Amino acid sequence: MAEPSKGLLRAQEIYQDRSQRALELREQGKKIMGYLCIYPVLEMMTALDIVPYRIFGDMREPITRADAYMPSVNCPFLRSCLDLGLKEKYDFLDGIVTSHICDVGSSLSGIWNYTVRTPFSHHIDTPHTLHETSLKQERGLLEDYRKALEDFTGHKMTTENLKKAIRVHNEQRALVRELYELKKPDPPLISGVETIRVIKAIQSIPVDEGNELLRDVISEVKERGDGPQTKSARLLLWGSILDDTALPEMIEGLDANVVMDDTCVGSRPYFNDVEVTGDVIDGLARHYLMDIKCPRTFRTRDYNDVRKDYMKDLEVRFSYLSDYARDWKTNGVILESVRYCDTHGYDVPGLRDYLDNLGIPSIYLEHDYTEGALAPLRTRVQGFLEIIS
Amino acid sequence: MVLIYFAGIDLGSTMTKVVIVDEDDQTKASVVYHTGAEHRRLANRVMEESLAKANLSIDDISFVMATGYGRINVPFADRQITELSCHARGVASFFPHVRLAIDIGGQDAKGLKTRDGKLLDFVMSDKCAAGTGRFLEVISAALGLKIEDLGDISLRSTQKVSVSSTCTVFAQQEVVNHLSEGVPLEDVIAGLHDAIAGRSARMVNRLKVEPDVVFTGGVAKNVGVVKALEENLGCPVLVPEEPLLSGAIGAALLGKEHVLKALARGETIQTGKRRLEEATFFK
Amino acid sequence: MTTEAKPRALNRLQSMYALRAEVDKMYEGGVEASEEGRPVAWVMLEGWSNAILNAMGVNTVFPENYSSLCAAQGVATPFLERSEAEGYPTHLCGYARTCVGYSSRMVELDGKIPPEAPAGGMPKPILLVASGEVCDARFKWFQSLGRFFDAPVWTIESPYPGLRERLTEGAHERNVNFLINELKAFVAFLEKLLGKKMDWDALEHTGGGTNEINRWRWEINELRKARPGPMNTRDFWSAVTAALFRGAANPDVITKGFERMYDEVKERVNNGIAGINRPEKYRLSFEGLPPWHSLGFLEQLAERGWNFVIESAYRPPRPITIDLSKYSDPMERYVRRRYRRLEDSLEEDYGPEEAGLIIDEILCDGVSRRMGLRHIRDYQVDGVVLHVLLTCRSTSAGLNLLQHRLLDVLKVPSLVIEGDIIDVSAFNPAEALRNAETFEETMDHYRKVRKELGMPW
Repeated sequence: MAEPSKGLLRAQEIYQDRSQRALELREQGKKIMGYLCIYPVLEMMTALDIVPYRIFGDMREPITRADAYMPSVNCPFLRSCLDLGLKEKYDFLDGIVTSHICDVGSSLSGIWNYTVRTPFSHHIDTPHTLHETSLKQERGLLEDYRKALEDFTGHKMTTENLKKAIRVHNEQRALVRELYELKKPDPPLISGVETIRVIKAIQSIPVDEGNELLRDVISEVKERGDGPQTKSARLLLWGSILDDTALPEMIEGLDANVVMDDTCVGSRPYFNDVEVTGDVIDGLARHYLMDIKCPRTFRTRDYNDVRKDYMKDLEVRFSYLSDYARDWKTNGVILESVRYCDTHGYDVPGLRDYLDNLGIPSIYLEHDYTEGALAPLRTRVQGFLEIIS
Repeated sequence: MVLIYFAGIDLGSTMTKVVIVDEDDQTKASVVYHTGAEHRRLANRVMEESLAKANLSIDDISFVMATGYGRINVPFADRQITELSCHARGVASFFPHVRLAIDIGGQDAKGLKTRDGKLLDFVMSDKCAAGTGRFLEVISAALGLKIEDLGDISLRSTQKVSVSSTCTVFAQQEVVNHLSEGVPLEDVIAGLHDAIAGRSARMVNRLKVEPDVVFTGGVAKNVGVVKALEENLGCPVLVPEEPLLSGAIGAALLGKEHVLKALARGETIQTGKRRLEEATFFK
Repeated sequence: MTTEAKPRALNRLQSMYALRAEVDKMYEGGVEASEEGRPVAWVMLEGWSNAILNAMGVNTVFPENYSSLCAAQGVATPFLERSEAEGYPTHLCGYARTCVGYSSRMVELDGKIPPEAPAGGMPKPILLVASGEVCDARFKWFQSLGRFFDAPVWTIESPYPGLRERLTEGAHERNVNFLINELKAFVAFLEKLLGKKMDWDALEHTGGGTNEINRWRWEINELRKARPGPMNTRDFWSAVTAALFRGAANPDVITKGFERMYDEVKERVNNGIAGINRPEKYRLSFEGLPPWHSLGFLEQLAERGWNFVIESAYRPPRPITIDLSKYSDPMERYVRRRYRRLEDSLEEDYGPEEAGLIIDEILCDGVSRRMGLRHIRDYQVDGVVLHVLLTCRSTSAGLNLLQHRLLDVLKVPSLVIEGDIIDVSAFNPAEALRNAETFEETMDHYRKVRKELGMPW
């Protein structure tokens, strides 16, 4: 038997055939738990030896079955996920955990239960504000979730196992950050396309295997001589889900490298650690409600303050992006969103106000989650590059 | 090497345009071809014809810049640049004080914020026939009219109707309904022009309109749309003598500037392999 | 030979006009308050803040209603265009985009109400109250108005658990406490902003009045079960806004208005008069929000003998007496009166036996096939119109599944009409009418199917 592949090659293999490892593990008697978006708490799955497996769509596969259950005016990514579910591509899952990422995501969990009928399901009604009461609510919801997982496996989730799981997931977060450090030099040591492959791969395999993969990728990337070339533009990519390399491939096919991102198959789930608190669930609740910066959450500066200050509000919401732009030395930002994503859509004017104010050029691209529809965006991106260079 | 001629080729979705300029920016030849889907790849013929007109061979051309929808597929181009930058540059060569350029072509509409021939910002329409030349083509074909007559017909209108549908197919239904209700043809056509102009005006609002406003692209040949655009924007709209050529001229000029800059830096000019072959559009 | 002019197909209720006029008064009142220096808030439609704000003496105006008013009067489009020019994506909620365009126009006019604004306009707010109830993207809408106004935004959070998760032990009490604490934080914020204390007695009044209004609305809907259906859906939409947007501000007048409407509908039932002036050929339910810009379209459907006898949106809850005697905290009373245990409301609505079946379905599958379909059966509906909205995902996402469930469980077919709440260009009435014509055959077919299965209609 050939030596199993490692590093970037391994990441690419998983990227192309992502259920392969999950199917093997299932054969070995492991439970595979599908999860939608990045709000279901993975540590609790790991603590019970459940394999978390992120549900993605497929922008290369036309949506044919989902039309009957979800109108076309809804998020095409979520419609694609449902479509794959209806085409039995997720039949190997033992369960699915969803959260109130957005209303369409919530609707999807009901529709999925009605049509795909994965044996176990649980929905976390993640609050949308950072009010004190919301944090308490999230904590309670995680207790329910914990109990649901315990009932599902028939095992108790010990505090010790949960702490261990938090440590190994934090290790993953640290490794991802280390990987992103390698995008700071010019040229970056790893491309935007490769980054998506790696992140998608680690979201498809158990966390310890993901950590091993990340370690291999990091040492490979540091040593190789055939990494990305220097280009005129270093870009920061912000936006809704990108679970396919098509868009960064198009961008990096032009005179630009994607050196930093704020997307959920990118840096978004990994840039803050979970604090191991006295009561472990407190730390998890805080992290999953407050640290993950998806526009689905309403963030503001001090919500009890009766005065309003627009620029300060923008600062609180988006200053981490200007940090990214500074530290990764980007000279432009691409704001990208799948069509019909309301929460990302509402952030666009404010975020562009913020970036304009800092003198950082930006462009907003909307796409309908099909590979073919990316072609017309090429001229927009190239035009943007011509402006900023 | 003596620098003399620069060519710009603008491979658009419905029209292919070539312009050859000399070192004083004077146009030596310009050719416009209606390139339907099947002819799209024949960019080389248009190039050959322009060379013949200018009495030149391809080797006399110092630099060929390609632009437009098909820019990456031109085998004899030395470099590609988007039609956004090329239009901005080209329009400024006719109207130096242009701040906003609106280009409505066969397949899309664009708004360019520009200064001194440089592109500062832009907006583009979504992939949709409504609001483009294609829209007028479809409707004039359905009504059995020549597209070039639409402008004059609409000028006779005294009371234009409103065409509210944003979809070409629905708009066509609306037009037929209006006509069957006895609305005069010129009022319906004027309504169509208003719908196109309104769409573009809304789109460019995002760029904060400032004069001079220049209108280019095939649709700019339609006086009815020009008038409607002026009404919608509330300011005069300038149209170059040959509104189809701004992209190709811009490409030629940007090619020249590229060469001059390279030479000023003491670099040799990187030109591609010149193969005067068909464009490989459909791989 | 002379022919008498044929009456319009929709038979409007006289009592509706007074209620509809109350909504216009909201804007007049808002402008007046603003001119007198009294606080005006822009508020989203949701279950909690309205009564609290009114109890605190804040004038509430509703951009969502205002946008539909702009759409109904055909003046929304310039606001939509302005929103696009401001860089807001065009797929966002039509209500929101109208409001963005309106706000941007106000900034252009130095905070003044645009002269073209209908019904006197919405004055500049001192506070924006957002909510994620029913539609969670609304959180972001008011926040994104930050670039136009100095008003702070408060966002009301309320629980929206999955069905099975709502039945989890302890979940209900946790949600109640969450709401109580959340609303108390809102009150504390208001007290700080307004520099005055909450009037808890007033809350009993503003909050309690809504219950009385809902009771009349419930009774009116009960009357609509009659054949022929005595009230058309256009009257429903015209009147419901009074309940939704004025109920807390002016409970006595609105209650009286619906009481009058009850009398008029009752009178019609007694005399066998329908809500349409044509023979009732089909009884329909309207699911989703209506095309506010084209309510006249309902006239064309009525012309065909379509009588919409019930709607899914804003259906009043079944009136019940809740024993609140053991709760003394006014906020707790306020919350417990409105936020019910799922098991309780199912049992009240469906009776113990069917509620049990529904709960079993939920526990087993996480969803229920039957839940939420009772009105279709009770009103003996022949067909359902599903209004899929280009810019409203929250009301549209579940409609296709509903289509399946209606057919699976009740053998009732549905017709999808695509359009929008605000954007008239998304709606093609000619096509919708053609499809409606074909749909009649489908309704006829399923009538036979139901008959063969021994179903009661």
